[in-house]
Amino acid sequence: MAPAAPAIPYLLWLAAAFAAPLATVLLLALQEGGDVFTPLSLSPSAAQFTEILGDGYYRRVMADTLLMAAGVTLAAALLGYPLALWLVRLPPRWRPLGFACILVPLLTNVVVRSLGIILLLAPGGIVSGVAQALGFGRVNLLFGWFAVGLSLLQVFLPYMVLALYDVLEGRDRRLAEAAAGLGAGPALQFLRVTLPLSLGGLRAGLVVTFLMASTAYVSATLVGGKKVQVSGMVVLKEGLELLNHPLAAAMAVLMLAASVLATLAIGKAVGFFTPWLAQRPPRAPRRLPPPLPPHLRAPLVALAEAAGPWLGRLLLGLALALLLFPLLLVVVASVNDTPQATVAGFQGFTWRWYAMIFEDTRYLADAWTSLQLALAAALIALALALPASFALARGRWRGQEQLGALMLLPLALPGIAIGLGMLRLLQWFNALPPFLGILAVHVVLIAPFMLAMLRASVAGLDRAQEEAAGGLGAAPWRVLWRITLPQLAPAIAVAGLLGFLLSFGEVTVTAFLTTARMQTLPVRIYAEASFSLQNTVNAVSTLIILVTVALLLLINRVMPLDRAWRR
Amino acid sequence: MSLSLNRRAFGRLALGAGVLAPYGFSRSAQAQIKKGDELTVGIWGGAQERITREFCARPLEEKYGVKINFVLGGTVERRARAYAERGRPSFDVLYLNIFESRQAVKDGVTQAPTDAVPNYANLYPSARLGGYGVAYNPVTIVYDRRKVSSPITSWKDLWRDELRGKLIWPSYPGAEGTAALLMAAKIWGGSEKDIEPAFRKLAELKPFAAFQSSQDQLFTMFDQEVGAASIEFGSFTRSYAERRNPNIVIADPAEGQVIALNAACITVGTKNQKLAEEWVNLHLSPACQQRYAEEIYYSPTVRNVELPPELSAKLILGDEAVHKLVDFDWDTVIANQSRWSSRFAREIAG
Repeated sequence: MAPAAPAIPYLLWLAAAFAAPLATVLLLALQEGGDVFTPLSLSPSAAQFTEILGDGYYRRVMADTLLMAAGVTLAAALLGYPLALWLVRLPPRWRPLGFACILVPLLTNVVVRSLGIILLLAPGGIVSGVAQALGFGRVNLLFGWFAVGLSLLQVFLPYMVLALYDVLEGRDRRLAEAAAGLGAGPALQFLRVTLPLSLGGLRAGLVVTFLMASTAYVSATLVGGKKVQVSGMVVLKEGLELLNHPLAAAMAVLMLAASVLATLAIGKAVGFFTPWLAQRPPRAPRRLPPPLPPHLRAPLVALAEAAGPWLGRLLLGLALALLLFPLLLVVVASVNDTPQATVAGFQGFTWRWYAMIFEDTRYLADAWTSLQLALAAALIALALALPASFALARGRWRGQEQLGALMLLPLALPGIAIGLGMLRLLQWFNALPPFLGILAVHVVLIAPFMLAMLRASVAGLDRAQEEAAGGLGAAPWRVLWRITLPQLAPAIAVAGLLGFLLSFGEVTVTAFLTTARMQTLPVRIYAEASFSLQNTVNAVSTLIILVTVALLLLINRVMPLDRAWRR
Repeated sequence: MSLSLNRRAFGRLALGAGVLAPYGFSRSAQAQIKKGDELTVGIWGGAQERITREFCARPLEEKYGVKINFVLGGTVERRARAYAERGRPSFDVLYLNIFESRQAVKDGVTQAPTDAVPNYANLYPSARLGGYGVAYNPVTIVYDRRKVSSPITSWKDLWRDELRGKLIWPSYPGAEGTAALLMAAKIWGGSEKDIEPAFRKLAELKPFAAFQSSQDQLFTMFDQEVGAASIEFGSFTRSYAERRNPNIVIADPAEGQVIALNAACITVGTKNQKLAEEWVNLHLSPACQQRYAEEIYYSPTVRNVELPPELSAKLILGDEAVHKLVDFDWDTVIANQSRWSSRFAREIAG
């Protein structure tokens, strides 16, 4: 069997549901100009690219966006490790709740989350208050790159943690013990054993975070106060407000190209530091840098050992505070008696936002639609991504990295551009049954995430056990069922959960595809927010968080989030 | 490319027909409303959905046994979708703002209003362009009374020294940003045809405290005292001021407030012409208009609404007041949108 064969279903799905919008976006980007009604010309023109690349403003916006995405990605890695290690150390019984903490930002509406950031950073806000108490005077961190970066960090941090979780959970703890036995303290154990062994997961986290951070625009609009301009905003403004589809598409294509390059670069870098994963002898023996002389090394190690644990705790505290802050906001706001959703000032207690949800059956109907959609999308995406992750993680073959990058393309193309492409295809899209059409698109949107995460876990599988089972006469399916899948169970649970939540909350693309025949809950909330946000959205978020906790507890029963046999 | 020619020709035809014969081609000659017909309406969520469900959808469903489908969303997706589906619309009625609705009529996406809607007769003239205006929602200066030495009475007051660095400017394009830019041109000797003064004077205002791109965002900024003044719809800001932040004042500048309205637009090519017109007629009915005024301070676009005096004081009512709203040549505004947006991003924001 060809090594890439298990990836075929995934690729077929991409070809069926993603190739068309992607091709439309590419074709749009190659138009010379014209309004929305001008039919697409098949003779390519580089006019849009010339315009963007020849314009210092666009170049600056793109460079700023990529820099910010890189910063957010690094910060997410820095905060992600303490969080993931904390999660791994939690007793199994508490782990579902730990997961719930991590997932809070994914379960709250982006507008509400941004309001939280504003509350935190405004001149009269919390950070400023602390600074004043410490004698630094009023600080205004709002409406700048810091605020945008922080709000992106908050929502993308969960992805990083989940990407790291399974590889850290599955690592062989005897190695750390051995290091400790040889005299390494916690800091050195982390730097020399845990970190290198988790690089596969880190790669998934870095790629996912970078791709999402470089295409995000909603948070930048809300907390950047338009002083911060990112590429995604250009796509939105040119494509939808000014109806200049070709320029928007060209911008999206450039963002796509940058994302693909970044994916490959991250893959290369991680590959360089994990030569043992290549499963083949290196072409040339690696020359290691000469070790530091002992009189320099000893104080450095001592410093790391002294400061490391404290730094870890500090980062963990900061990360948890950042993740949990929105929870406080939505729960309080969901019972706040104000006409518009606000986080400033509690005006009185009321249950009426909850009552509105349960009285107006439309919320429940839309939630039911979203639930069915997310369940179906997560299951299908899992069925596609799991085999594909074996193709990418097992063996080494020509074109593997490139295929891996290709399979992440839906992540790299800004959602708004996918929407733009779908607009041109609406005629055909509308001919599909509505549920099926939106489902096909959702699978495309979530499968790459699941693939990125599962790939790292599959790479970390202990093949010796499979070989041992095979040697004892187990048929391949039996090896898969009894050896491989149980080891992957936590990864499958986490990836499935993430896919479910992503699909359940998706709005950017779905907003273009909503019809009278089908509407999801996030689109309803978005439509409300487009006029004025009411606290019903916070009541919805609170309920969703509760349901997620219940779901996590249930998953943990059926399919433990840790490797139960190791307890 | 024969398909393309057809589509283009169709657009022109529809456009021409719309101008020449309102009852001919663009208003499709649809038979009577039948039981089981479905009308698809694209509108905002929240209060807008609630009020139209009560005053437009339910009566029609009860009277004719038809079904009204709501497609909720923001204007941006709704408009992009209507353009993508020109001639074979999935919407029968959709809601757009003042210049979007006029552009949509010009582009052959939606129909110009006609007196096939009985309440058309009661519409003010400025609500009869580009769809049926359903609510006046003028744009004006709103400010925090604690941050200014004396009340703001003129658009020029935004250039006071005490407001330097404290303005929250509405981003362009967008209804509020457009109004702000045009007004800046007008008071400093320019116009929509001569926008230069606006950009020159706006640059003088830098640095801005922030730019806002929605009323919710502005309200949060006022909550947090990020800035002192902005330019926004007076209507909903009034709800905010009354219920949440009594320090906020809705100014009535001497030069006038800028016209803005929401328009109900019937799509070109709808298969439910009659039903769509009934829908619009109900939206323009006094009862519906009154509810909008009471709930979110939208001013009626029809003359035949009687409102209690204390409510009237907060609205734009009567020919004189409506006529006083500052209006612009929206065709020029639309034609320049892309250029101005590009200048705004480069010279003012960022």
